[in-house]
Amino acid sequence: MKYIAQKLGLFVLTLWAAVTLNFFLPRLMPGSPADAAIAKLSQNGPVTEATRAAIEAQLGVPTGSLWDQYLSYLHQVVTLDFGVSYTFYPQTVSSMVSTALPYTIGLVGIVTVLAFVLGTLIGVAAAWKRGTWLDSLPTLTGSFLSTFPYFWTALLLLFFLGYVLHWFPTTGAYAATSTPGFTAEFIGDVLLHAILPALTILITSLGGWIIGMRNAMINTLGDDYVTFAEANGLRGRTVAIRYAARNAILPNLTGFGLALGGVVGGSILVEQVFGYPGIGYLLFNAVIGQDYPLMQALFLMITVSVLIANFLVDILYGVLDPRTRR
Amino acid sequence: MSMTTPASGTVSAAENDVLLDVRELSVVYASPGMEPVQAVDRVSFTLGRGEFVGLVGESGSGKSTLGFALTRLQKAPAQISNGRILFGGRDIRELDAEELRRQRQGGFAMVLQSGMNALNPVRTIRNHFMDVFRAHGHVGAHERAGRAAELVQKVGLGPEVLDRYPGELSGGMRQRVSIAIALSLEPQLMVFDEPTTALDVLVQHAVMDTIQALQKSENFTAILISHDLGIVLEATERVMVMHEGRIVEDARSVDILERPQDPYTRMLLSHYADPRAETISIPGFVDMGTRKREGKARIDVTTTRPTVSARQARSADSAIVVEGVSKVYPAPRRGEEKVTAVSDVSFRLEPGEALALVGASGSGKSTLAKLITGVEKPTAGSIRFGDLDVTGLRRRALRELHKDVQMVFQDPYSALNPLHTVEYTLTRPVVNYTGLRGADARRRVLELLDTVGLTPVEQFAAKLPHQLSGGQRQRVVIARALASDPQVLIADEPVSMLDVSLRAGVLALLEDLREQWGVSMLYITHDLLSARLVTENILVLNRGRVVERGETAQVLRHPSDEYTVSLLDAVPNPARAKGAR
Repeated sequence: MKYIAQKLGLFVLTLWAAVTLNFFLPRLMPGSPADAAIAKLSQNGPVTEATRAAIEAQLGVPTGSLWDQYLSYLHQVVTLDFGVSYTFYPQTVSSMVSTALPYTIGLVGIVTVLAFVLGTLIGVAAAWKRGTWLDSLPTLTGSFLSTFPYFWTALLLLFFLGYVLHWFPTTGAYAATSTPGFTAEFIGDVLLHAILPALTILITSLGGWIIGMRNAMINTLGDDYVTFAEANGLRGRTVAIRYAARNAILPNLTGFGLALGGVVGGSILVEQVFGYPGIGYLLFNAVIGQDYPLMQALFLMITVSVLIANFLVDILYGVLDPRTRR
Repeated sequence: MSMTTPASGTVSAAENDVLLDVRELSVVYASPGMEPVQAVDRVSFTLGRGEFVGLVGESGSGKSTLGFALTRLQKAPAQISNGRILFGGRDIRELDAEELRRQRQGGFAMVLQSGMNALNPVRTIRNHFMDVFRAHGHVGAHERAGRAAELVQKVGLGPEVLDRYPGELSGGMRQRVSIAIALSLEPQLMVFDEPTTALDVLVQHAVMDTIQALQKSENFTAILISHDLGIVLEATERVMVMHEGRIVEDARSVDILERPQDPYTRMLLSHYADPRAETISIPGFVDMGTRKREGKARIDVTTTRPTVSARQARSADSAIVVEGVSKVYPAPRRGEEKVTAVSDVSFRLEPGEALALVGASGSGKSTLAKLITGVEKPTAGSIRFGDLDVTGLRRRALRELHKDVQMVFQDPYSALNPLHTVEYTLTRPVVNYTGLRGADARRRVLELLDTVGLTPVEQFAAKLPHQLSGGQRQRVVIARALASDPQVLIADEPVSMLDVSLRAGVLALLEDLREQWGVSMLYITHDLLSARLVTENILVLNRGRVVERGETAQVLRHPSDEYTVSLLDAVPNPARAKGAR
């Protein structure tokens, strides 16, 4: 309990620091968005005082002291009020993010967890049956597949399974013809659309987890407590799971935390290739369209998601390893 | 050698009461693409029920390999290539995996060398017991909790350890727990593989006492594998001596002590002596007092060219003066006491002197070494080297200090980078400290090798650490320490990781450095015998305090402090074993 409280405190503290940095960093830069816009305009001719006022009014020049600005910014963050998007005017940033987020978490998040669980299990089996086909087959295929560049796997899958065989749709999160709603039809459609991107992520990340777990477990299999467990005649399954695998998974948790933290920020490529309307897709368009409010909200989201992932892994560590609890 | 059967003095157990009958057992290490190595070579012996037998040999003798083979725990690349292991009349080589697993309850159990690491760090001690009970079902579900408590009590621990994780217990406690777990199997045969090697001297002694008492009360048959003939002779009734994969001698402990037959056994025995004796001699070595009286150097011939400055040049050199030094570490966790590692210690190390700093682990002796080398700063007191105040030195000045004060570490196996040749390892400090370059630096490296007795020097310079024996590695470590031509060597347990037969050589080298070249030495150890051999004065530390000091021979022969006495009692001593019987 004390451990969790400690980690929670640390989490809140880093969260505050990240949010604060997000506020101050842009303000440390010289100039303002209005200056940038006016500088662009002035290349074509003199800018009148009226134009300047109009631009400033449109972009909203901050008023009040830095402290007042900070307080109102904090208030906005807490109430999730990030303003109005430039490129998708008049939609609010929060409504755009909240539409995109479920797709990203649902697709990339779940697949990342799935890849970790599956890869770890296969890795355990491979290490336990070292030297047999159960070891060589997944290890070889895993390392082979994970050397494929991400987009290349995605394009191959799109081309063969989507374009040639027509098994799966090639773009979007659901067909243009179906109406979003909580119906079986719509959910089935969403799942069908998710298969190709999910497969891409699984194929490219599974190999790493398999090999990582296998190698870690081969190390723990050589540890004295495993030998001693064997000497005590414990059943093979107990030795493999509770002794060898249980200890081997600990170092891999760190990698898992990093992968989880990268879910939101790292989804750009897969969502772009598959035209999937998640956070990555949104971020890409925000950058292209110089949509500052949207970008700021998304960057904050990415930071927060990394922090949350690390917090979860810290808690997991505490549960799994008594040595960290002290 | 044609001996396939044990040498004379064999003790054969009565035929009908034989528990273990090993015949012509061979174990080879066979890796693909490598020459197979014969680790155990046609070994035969029998073990009667209730016997307590020692299996002694130096590293690489095959004793652990044999122990693992006897309990069918050998792992690839080790494989049994020949022979039979009859356990209760049945060849355990023929058991399939499940039969073997069942056999481990009520059959043979093993306690591993590093008992500290033999427990699963993420399971409580209670769960370790439960795993065993569940695997074999030999204890009813309701009796399990009680049985676990009873077992830890047998090894001298309280029931509260059951709820602890291994990381919360000391090394000695963990080794006791692993003995209790092995006991929970109710085995007929227990194999102890170096059960006390990784433990502190005093703890070592206590754990051995527990093992001996258990062997009598629980009445199991036991094999005690150890590199330390002294420990084995003290504990067991019969000893098998192993050398290069063969049992070269198998006899009653008394006979081994009084009438050793094999030259190897004699060699091992010759390296033991009682640090309390009036004069001590081990091969190549006489104790310092005797040497002084007879007015001769340990060696007659001076080693070739000096690579350290000659003694005369050092006569005006500086002493290390430690005055009222204390070191207090902050509490490891909130709410706990601060740790006082060193408390008000004062001494002088004169130029050319050898001073022993002895104590069990936790006595603060290694902390003192860190303070003197400036790695750590004392909380109170002052340390001076000549005019230099060591405690106030910054990084750059520390480098200057390390020109004159060098460390030799305990573990020669991890003190050398396995990827670098000896020459590279030695060239670095030569270049850093003396500024010699190119051919000059190389000449200096070869001189250093010559000084530490690694000849022919050209050959040794080109070698990698894994091609060297432990003793040779420790010589390289010493040569590295000498690279800067230091005035003071701080040797932290320099021989404790080495086989007895190699220790004398390294000790002799340290002694030469002091005697011939006037390098003064602070010799940190728990091993009183070696302290007696190479030092003039001694300082006994207990919990950071000096409890006794004086001339080494005087202090060890007539100790006045209880702690010194207990340290002396913990020294394994074959001769005392004889007296006890």
